[in-house]
Amino acid sequence: MLRVNQIEVAYDRVQVLFGLSLSVERGEILCLLGRNGAGKTTTLKSIMGLLPLRGGSVSFDDKTISGLPAHKMAAKGIAYVPQGRRLFSELSVRQNIEIGLMASGAGHETREYALSLFPRLRERLKQRAETLSGGEQQMLAMARAICARPQVILLDEPTEGLQPSMTSMIREVIIEMKNNGVAVVLVEQHVDAILAVADRVTFVEHGVDAETVAVSVLKERPELVNAYLGV
Amino acid sequence: MDFGPHLFVASLEGAITAAVLALTAVGLSIVFGIMRVVNVAHGEFFMLGAVIAWWITSLIAGHPALGFTVALIAAPIIVGALAVICNRFVLHKINYEPERTIVATIGLLYVIQQTTLMTFGPEARPVEAPFNKRIALPWFEFGESGFALTWPWGLSTTTYKLAVIAAAVVILLVLWTVMTRTKIGLIMRATQLDQEMAQAYGIAVNKVYALVFGLGAALAALGAVLVVPIQQAHYLMGDDPLLLSFIVVIIGGLGSVPGTVLAAVLIGMSDGIISVFFTPTLAKILATLLVAFVLIFKPDGLFGKRRE
Repeated sequence: MLRVNQIEVAYDRVQVLFGLSLSVERGEILCLLGRNGAGKTTTLKSIMGLLPLRGGSVSFDDKTISGLPAHKMAAKGIAYVPQGRRLFSELSVRQNIEIGLMASGAGHETREYALSLFPRLRERLKQRAETLSGGEQQMLAMARAICARPQVILLDEPTEGLQPSMTSMIREVIIEMKNNGVAVVLVEQHVDAILAVADRVTFVEHGVDAETVAVSVLKERPELVNAYLGV
Repeated sequence: MDFGPHLFVASLEGAITAAVLALTAVGLSIVFGIMRVVNVAHGEFFMLGAVIAWWITSLIAGHPALGFTVALIAAPIIVGALAVICNRFVLHKINYEPERTIVATIGLLYVIQQTTLMTFGPEARPVEAPFNKRIALPWFEFGESGFALTWPWGLSTTTYKLAVIAAAVVILLVLWTVMTRTKIGLIMRATQLDQEMAQAYGIAVNKVYALVFGLGAALAALGAVLVVPIQQAHYLMGDDPLLLSFIVVIIGGLGSVPGTVLAAVLIGMSDGIISVFFTPTLAKILATLLVAFVLIFKPDGLFGKRRE
C-alpha cells in the first residue's frame, strides 16, 4: 500500500539517497537494516515529507503523496516515531497525547485504547514529558503516534537504549499494530529483534535498497547480515 | 514633596512604563520563542499602533471615548494584518533564515518608519484620553497625633493612568490563559518545542507562524494605543520600546513569557523611578549595563532554559 519509488534526497549539497525503493503492505512489518549513515532515517523523513525529494515519488494506496506539505501526511494516515523520541518536552503527557489525537481528529476511544496499551502513562498524565524515564518516553512517543490512528507507522529505532522488559513491551505493541492491519516500517539494529517481528527486510546501503528478502530467507542465510552490517 | 510621596509618584510612572513594556516585550518574546525570528521592526509595529490610533480618533467625532474604543480594537487588528503580510511576503520568502531575517526586518523598520514620515509627518500628535480625572493620592504620616493620612500637594495620578496598568494586566492574563489552556495555545507551544514533529503531527507550521507574527505585532500596537494618550504619536517613537523590549527579553530569558513579564516590571519600574529622580539617560545606561551583566553571568536570561 505504501510505495517508495526510486527516491533521491539531499541535505543541501550532500546527497544521501540515490534512488531508494521500498514497499510495505497492510499488516506487514518491513525492517530497514543498514550501517549508520546508510540513509534509513533519511528515508523515513522523506516519506513524512520533512525533506524534499529530488527525484522519485512516494505513493499511498496508488495515490502520489510526495510533494504534499509535511503537515498533510498525518491526515493521510502516516505516523512517525522518530529516533530519540522527540516528544514535546515541556508539555504534559496528556498534552502530547492530545496533539496525536488532533492529527487524526480521533476522540476519547482512541485515547483510552492508547492508554490501555501503556497503563503506566495513565498514572503520569499531568507530568511533563521531559521528566519521564527513557522507557516511559518511548511509550509516550508510541502512544502519540497511535492516537494519530495511522495506517502506516514509521518507527526509527524504538527500542534503542531501553532495558529488556521495555523492549519486549514495545515489540508486543508493534505486533499488535500489525495484527490490526497497520503497515509498519521499522528501523532496527538488533538482528534478533528483526528475526522476531519482521516479515521482510530491506537492506539499505549507500542510499539505495541493496536487497529485499523475506525474513525466512534471512534465517537461512545469516551471512547476509554480516555482508551489509559487518565492518 | 518629601522623599516618600515622591518615590510613590515615581513608582506609578514606572508602573505605566512597565505595563506598556510588558505588552510590547511579550510580543517580541513570542515571535522569537516560536519562530526564532529576531524582529528588529517590532518597535515600528508599536509606532504604527499609536499613529493609527491617532488617525482613527481624528476621523471619529463625538466623545473621545468613542474614537479611542474603536482605535483600541481596530489599530492592533490593522497592525497585526500588516505583520501577517510582512511575514508572508518577506520572512517566509527567505525561509526564516536567522541572518537574513535580521537584515530583512531592519529593512522593514526603515520602510515603515519612512513611509510614516512621508504620510503622517514629523510632528508629534496627541490623542485625547477617553477619561482623565485627576485623583489625589493619600500619604501616611506618623505625627504627634500618631498615624494619619495626608494628601500632599502634587501627589496625584489620573484615572486613565491607572486604567492603563489594569488593562495591561488583564491583557497579559488573557494571553497567558490562551497559551496554556486552549487548543491554539497548545499548537503554538508544540511548534515552539519541535517544529518538525509539530508538522509530522498535522500542525500547519506556516499558519502558526503567520498567526504568531501577527499576534506579536498586535500586542506591540495594543501597548502603543494604551500609551498614546499619555505620550503622543510620533514617527520615531518606536525606537525606545524596541531597545527596552530587547533588554527585557534578554534579561527575562529568550522565549520565556513569565520571565519577560517579570523583567518588564523590573526594567519598567527602575526606568520610571530613575528617570524621575535622575535622568532618563541614566535609566537607559543602567538597563543596558544590566543586560551586559546578565549576558556575562547568566547568558540564557534569568528564566531562560539552557539550550542543548
